[in-house]
Amino acid sequence: MKLERKDFLTMIGGAVVGTGVGTLISPGPWMGLQWLVEWTQDQYRPPKGEEKYLASICDRCPDKCTIQVRKIGNRAVKIETSNQGCAVGQLLLQVLYHPQRVTTPLKRTGKKGKIDFAPVSWDEAIADISKKINDAINNNKQEQIIAINPAYPDATSMLTERIALFSGSPYVFQESGYWALSNACSEIAFKTDGAIDYDFENADCVVSFGARLFEGWGNPGRMHNVLSLWKKKGIKFIQIDSIATRTASLADQWVAIKPGSEPLFAMGVAHYLMKYGKRSGATNFGRFTELLINKYTPEKVSELTGVSLDTIESVAKALISAQRPVAVAGRGGKVNSSSVAEFAIIQTINSMIGSMGSSVKLVSFTTPAKPVIPKKAKGLDEYIASDSVCDIALINNANPVYSSVYGQRLSDKLKKASTVVLCTSLLNDTALYADYVFPTLTSLELPVAGNAVVTPTSEAKHAGDSLLAIAKNIAKISSQFSWKNYLETVQTVKYQTKNIANVDIPVDLIITKLEETEKILSASGSYSIAMIPFEIPTVSDGSGLSLPYVLKGLPGTILKGDTSWVLMNPATASKEGISEGSKIDIESSRGELDTVRVHLTKRIAYDTVAIPIGFGHEEFTDYASEKGVNPKIIMSDAIDPASGYADWWLTRVKLS
Amino acid sequence: MAKLTRRWGMVIDLDKCTGCGACNIACSQENNLPIFKDDSDIPKRVTFLDLVEVTNDKDPKAQYPDVKVAYLPKMCQQCSGNDPNHPNPPCVSVCPVVATDVGEDGVVSQIWSRCIGCRYCQVACPYEARVFHWWKPRYEGSFKKSLNPDVSIASRGTMVKCTFCSHIWKRERDRAIANGVTDINAVTYTPACASACPTNAIIFGDLNDPSSPVYEAAVQKNPRAVRLVHSIDELRTKDPSEYEKRLKIKDYPNPKVYYLTSQQWLRDKISGFKNS
Repeated sequence: MKLERKDFLTMIGGAVVGTGVGTLISPGPWMGLQWLVEWTQDQYRPPKGEEKYLASICDRCPDKCTIQVRKIGNRAVKIETSNQGCAVGQLLLQVLYHPQRVTTPLKRTGKKGKIDFAPVSWDEAIADISKKINDAINNNKQEQIIAINPAYPDATSMLTERIALFSGSPYVFQESGYWALSNACSEIAFKTDGAIDYDFENADCVVSFGARLFEGWGNPGRMHNVLSLWKKKGIKFIQIDSIATRTASLADQWVAIKPGSEPLFAMGVAHYLMKYGKRSGATNFGRFTELLINKYTPEKVSELTGVSLDTIESVAKALISAQRPVAVAGRGGKVNSSSVAEFAIIQTINSMIGSMGSSVKLVSFTTPAKPVIPKKAKGLDEYIASDSVCDIALINNANPVYSSVYGQRLSDKLKKASTVVLCTSLLNDTALYADYVFPTLTSLELPVAGNAVVTPTSEAKHAGDSLLAIAKNIAKISSQFSWKNYLETVQTVKYQTKNIANVDIPVDLIITKLEETEKILSASGSYSIAMIPFEIPTVSDGSGLSLPYVLKGLPGTILKGDTSWVLMNPATASKEGISEGSKIDIESSRGELDTVRVHLTKRIAYDTVAIPIGFGHEEFTDYASEKGVNPKIIMSDAIDPASGYADWWLTRVKLS
Repeated sequence: MAKLTRRWGMVIDLDKCTGCGACNIACSQENNLPIFKDDSDIPKRVTFLDLVEVTNDKDPKAQYPDVKVAYLPKMCQQCSGNDPNHPNPPCVSVCPVVATDVGEDGVVSQIWSRCIGCRYCQVACPYEARVFHWWKPRYEGSFKKSLNPDVSIASRGTMVKCTFCSHIWKRERDRAIANGVTDINAVTYTPACASACPTNAIIFGDLNDPSSPVYEAAVQKNPRAVRLVHSIDELRTKDPSEYEKRLKIKDYPNPKVYYLTSQQWLRDKISGFKNS
């Protein structure tokens, strides 16, 4: 066949056009474009590997929820909580793989007040700290040693407590919270130790006096189960609060009271219980009833709390008509603040409705035998406010410079101390004043449920092992620390349920507290606004803010950029000349906060400003530092005499 | 192989939701969401599941203390469109490159790498459930170690959204096949948010399955059920003929996510239906 030049060119042209059209309509160009995009953006591809699921626990609260960890190769990529626990368990990977985790022991190289550290070997650090404690013991300066533990005790807390007590120091504290307050109440009202524990699972009517039960209160995993149970069984739940919190909105009835008037409201309820024939066999119940009759009549309580007589009576009647009623003390979420007197009034109500010993028990933290040294300060805030000299501080997984309303004074004390040891996984506000920082391991790196989920890749040790190493190196006390490692110490401690034999109502303490509360509520003059806190469950006491996935979930009315937002009722704002988004300064008798913005919402009581807590860290990784304000620096520093912790819930402030 | 008859959907009981945030964090972890130092700017934040705070405090009649607050986990509502037999969600019809489509199981997919970033779908979505990557996703340092290899990292300039964690279904399917299971409808799964919810407020399942707690025919009869900005649902029982008439004359997203609540104020807020 003869092929003409023209036909040949047509064929070639056709082939070129065909190839071009074919290529264009094929996925080729798209795949090429995709490759180009990925190449220009340096796209990261997570490596693949063998898939495994390993069991572990979440060690962030006493619940110790079991979890499954999905692993790809040697990487943990997902926490499976299987419809239990709380958001904290989901955040364990953010802690494990935080790029700013402390990976080696650090020793201060510069002045205190800055993050100025250099790596140091474990041996050198432990030898130096042990020598300092040995010297303090030999020079009779044991009382210059202080131990500070987190809000809930564990085996590590037992070790710091033991080091201090066997060295001869009475100064062992934990950060303020439900456990500390509740134990202080038990010591006074029940003459024993232990935190008050409620049988929520079998209760048929629950009245919560400001305890935000579903926003971080107690052990969140348990409380989530309790909510499911209550919804299923239709349990009556009444919430007393000054903010329409999520807990208040989940309740069958929300009783809105003037901020900080919870103890007075409890007296009103107690009065009606008495009126309807409810009595208690508690010691001093006679004096308590005199107080109810002579001073805290329903009419007076109604006037002080802003709650109608009918409502107070209805709360009392709800408790009376139930078979297993419970009255709950402990204002707040994870961060808790009130007074022993308030706890005692509410436990008196429990004894009047017959719940003491049945629906209300104690949980104590039992530890191996230890010396009994009379306390010289009941709580951490009382210690900080005193003139006691601190030379050696052992701070275990806590951030008291941030969490205490006396944080500034504590930092002054720590500046003067020769040896401040902080066990932490992330450098926090307290690290600014530490001499040594010991890196800690997460539960995923420990063989707590079989093998460790992830092999530690840094020099970090569990805080318990670091403290044990220090203790074993102190000649005079080393014999008291025979455990080989931290995991062995875990076997020696446990939470134990106890019955309450008798209630001794601290009437004088109650009278003083109620008088103080009345005075604060009726305060007039320039500090005319009440400031109360609220908490975001994922941010919690502030420890969650360093984890970036927490920032992703924050409501837009809490934090924008570096600025905190506070909540205020529009009626109050109008009176103060404030509008949505206004910048305001909040000042108390203790000082002034950096400027905040205002979000108007009718969820807040009148003449009140509600401020988020957990923000405003001076130092806490790139994600949390300098974000928002820490209201603790201006919150009330009035120390509750029975617990030794400041009752900072209600602060009188002025706005400008 | 049998045809896939599953039609995945979700029922979220808002009366059980405490706003704890576990769903939001589980979703971020499972789907490799980017990590920025400041994620407080909501319009630019990349999340698949927003925990929306809802309150009735803007109601002119509402006065303290007769106000309430609730939290609403809001993800892609997995629309079906008017006709469930020919699903046509608002986002799918506008995508010029078929980066988003509806699968046999009703899940509205999103292929990040195919997306050209025109954002038509973001405009079309009635639920603001789609997010645009304004920046290249970052995972500082060792955060990279926690990334899930089943979910690819999106490029800057692309749209992303919740896919009901369909990669988990694929994982379960592959496991089932490896175990000799040949019935595709035997494969079930739970998205990250539902398996993290500690109060079981988020329930996931097959809307076509009468034995499932999310069986659509039963859920639609539940007086507590309500769908997001879907006021027409109120007419289903109140005025069935008007309901049918309206369905024919207008496109409705017809989402596969149902919310449950016994609180009327919250129902009104969610559905957008005005009784007056």
